[in-house]
Amino acid sequence: MKIQVRNLRKEFGRTVAVDNISFGFDSGHVFGFVGPNGAGKTTTMRIIATIEEPTAGDVLLNGVSITEEPELARKLVGYVPDLLPAHGDMTVHEYLDFFARAYGMRGRRRARAVAAVEEFTHVTGILDKHLKALSKGMKQRVSLGRALVHDPEVLVLDEPAAGLDPRARVELRELLNLLAERKKAILISSHILTELTEICNGVVIIERGRILETGTIEEVLKKSAPRRTVIIRLLERDHHRNPQLLRELLEMPQVDHAREVAGEIHFESSGDESAACEILARLIAREYRILEFRQTKANLEDIFMTVTQGGVQ
Amino acid sequence: MNVMARLGSRLARWRDWELNPVVVKELRQAVRNWSVTGMLLLFLVLLFGTSLMFLVSQTFTSQFNQRLGAQIFQAFVVILGGASTLFIPLYVGVRLAIERQENNVDLLYISTLTPGRIIRGKFYCGAYMTLLFFSACMPFMAFTNLLRGVDLPTVFCILLVLFLVVCFAVQVGILLACLPLSKPFKVLVGLSGIGIAFVVLSSVVGLALELMRSGVGAMMAGRDFWIGFSTAVGIGFAGFLLLHFLSIALISPASANRALPLRLYLTVLWFLSGGLSFLWVRHTKDTRMLLPWAIVMGLLLFAALFVVISNHDQLSLRVRRRIPRAPVRRALAFLFFNGAAGGLAWVALLLALTFGATWWALDWSLDRARGFQSLSAADVSDFATTAAGVISYLFAYALTALLVHRRLLSGRPPRLAGVLALIIPGALAVVPNLGMFFLNRLTWDAVERLQLGNLFNLFIVRESAHQLDHLLCAGTWLMIACALNARWFVRQFQSFQPLETAVTPPAEATPTGPS
Repeated sequence: MKIQVRNLRKEFGRTVAVDNISFGFDSGHVFGFVGPNGAGKTTTMRIIATIEEPTAGDVLLNGVSITEEPELARKLVGYVPDLLPAHGDMTVHEYLDFFARAYGMRGRRRARAVAAVEEFTHVTGILDKHLKALSKGMKQRVSLGRALVHDPEVLVLDEPAAGLDPRARVELRELLNLLAERKKAILISSHILTELTEICNGVVIIERGRILETGTIEEVLKKSAPRRTVIIRLLERDHHRNPQLLRELLEMPQVDHAREVAGEIHFESSGDESAACEILARLIAREYRILEFRQTKANLEDIFMTVTQGGVQ
Repeated sequence: MNVMARLGSRLARWRDWELNPVVVKELRQAVRNWSVTGMLLLFLVLLFGTSLMFLVSQTFTSQFNQRLGAQIFQAFVVILGGASTLFIPLYVGVRLAIERQENNVDLLYISTLTPGRIIRGKFYCGAYMTLLFFSACMPFMAFTNLLRGVDLPTVFCILLVLFLVVCFAVQVGILLACLPLSKPFKVLVGLSGIGIAFVVLSSVVGLALELMRSGVGAMMAGRDFWIGFSTAVGIGFAGFLLLHFLSIALISPASANRALPLRLYLTVLWFLSGGLSFLWVRHTKDTRMLLPWAIVMGLLLFAALFVVISNHDQLSLRVRRRIPRAPVRRALAFLFFNGAAGGLAWVALLLALTFGATWWALDWSLDRARGFQSLSAADVSDFATTAAGVISYLFAYALTALLVHRRLLSGRPPRLAGVLALIIPGALAVVPNLGMFFLNRLTWDAVERLQLGNLFNLFIVRESAHQLDHLLCAGTWLMIACALNARWFVRQFQSFQPLETAVTPPAEATPTGPS
């Protein structure tokens, strides 16, 4: 399954919510969709889920156009909106069963699909509970179950982790990893960028309806934050050698901005990983007793803050 | 796939048949809803109490030819009618309105359920609930047959009529719930709906009593009863389908071709009802029989005029992809697809055909030698002047509203054009009379004097010369409005072209992610 967003544009009156964006990703991958509020993430996701129609452009789900064959495309997509399920007077089982019926599943096939989704999303213990009585985390699971009930190949999740407690977030992450293993193509938007870094293979950063960065996480990190920060910690009784170490580091050509922070030496290196190894070898040769030598990668949050300006349409 | 093939494939898969998912969901919710349970219990208590009250009170009286069954049955019809005509449409309508009011209304539309299935599901739920109430009432009604005064054909006929009326009321409730209104307006519409339901209920009860008095069983043997009955059911069914298609159009996504089913249905209805009316004229040798058809279709098309001018000028990609390429088919599609210009042309065409055909038939039958009864020559002339005046005025209002919207309010939603088209005649009717009221000159005589531009004045002016003045005014206004809108109309027609595949350009160097 290949998802291709092609020159997508959406106008609401005079407001351009999505401005000619293009990106793509494949099945088995989790693609993060990042941007400030009002950037056009939800609109794009709603277009992919066939709820909105684009003003121009198209989205192809394995060649199926969402504008030409929305009914067929709808069968390929499972959408988890940012709002949790309504229909508070229905039980969890009834809710999932209703959507299985709505997707045209019949008889035993439906019963099997509903049971499988209930088990996968770990809601088997609350099947007879009314939706209004569920916690946010449980509602999110039910919402995910609803999106999965017809076994779609593409999953579009709009802020699924919003408002969840840490345990629920970890569980959601595990579920998403399992889904990626099952070869689902997942597009997920979230403001919790550290989590996205952990679960996503690729990312799109969008602002004012335009793409600022896109690619694999590594590519984006490399492009947007080419320098790596390295942290060195000497054995505690050698901390008096920190000023000397600082001086020596600054003399090395690959090192920039060396400084001491709470007993540790932080410096930035413009070289690649072999350059870092070389620095380490030199320091050991000069008999520094190094307790810790680690690189910190720039994460999505740093990149997000660098490339976006917080503007909305 | 044609209709027969589709029907064949459905019959082949009859074992797979399942209830509409919306019905299952709605019924599951209804059985645990306290209001349904409470209403059903209250209904049973009322039936039981009424039976008991009648039986106890009648035990102390002994009359010759006592018809206790008829008396109790009348009371049961009122209770059943009240419970089903008021409660069930209200329940179905309120539930749908709440669902549509909730923020995640999209949830229903992200599955493969079509808007038609959703509306049908809501309607079937109402029909099942009606059957539930009727079933609960059935033992009590059968009991009345044992007490004399009412025969079984009458019972079944009244129940059938009542059931059909409740089904119609449920569809009205669904339509009102689908209207894109804010909560306060919906409450207002709901309250007026309840008021209408009371009127319908009293009419149905009146009809039921009349049927009981006249004895339906005896009438059923006659042909006239079945002609009248089937005509009433046919008209009711046509109205029901209109409301049904309207509801579907209202909940369809904005990108769908909402206008197509509705305009097609109205055209088919126009054609069938017109054909039947002409047959009826031929049968009765009376061309006046065309007038009900012309007036009803005219009213429907006038209402449609205000709706079509509320359409977007720009067609969605989904609609444009379905525009036929062949010029003739494309021109036909222009009339039936979304869009204000096509809608205006469609309404104009049907109105011209309706009133043109009626006027021609009335005029043709003025010659007594043809053996047809008709209006007098003066009445035919009056009909033609009034119809032309009304049509000209309404189109003038509509085109003016479109022009104002396009020139001054282009950033606002297109439904504003429809609202403007309603405000213009309202203002022209109210403002001059309000002015006269404040100048203390408002008299009935003044209202009946010529007020050019005021559509309603056309019906009450005393002198026929004033009608001609109105016609002249409306015609001039219409011509000016047509001239000012002509470029827009031509542009709309020219841009009604199928979407070329090349319009969606290939993706620019797509930065494909991990693959």
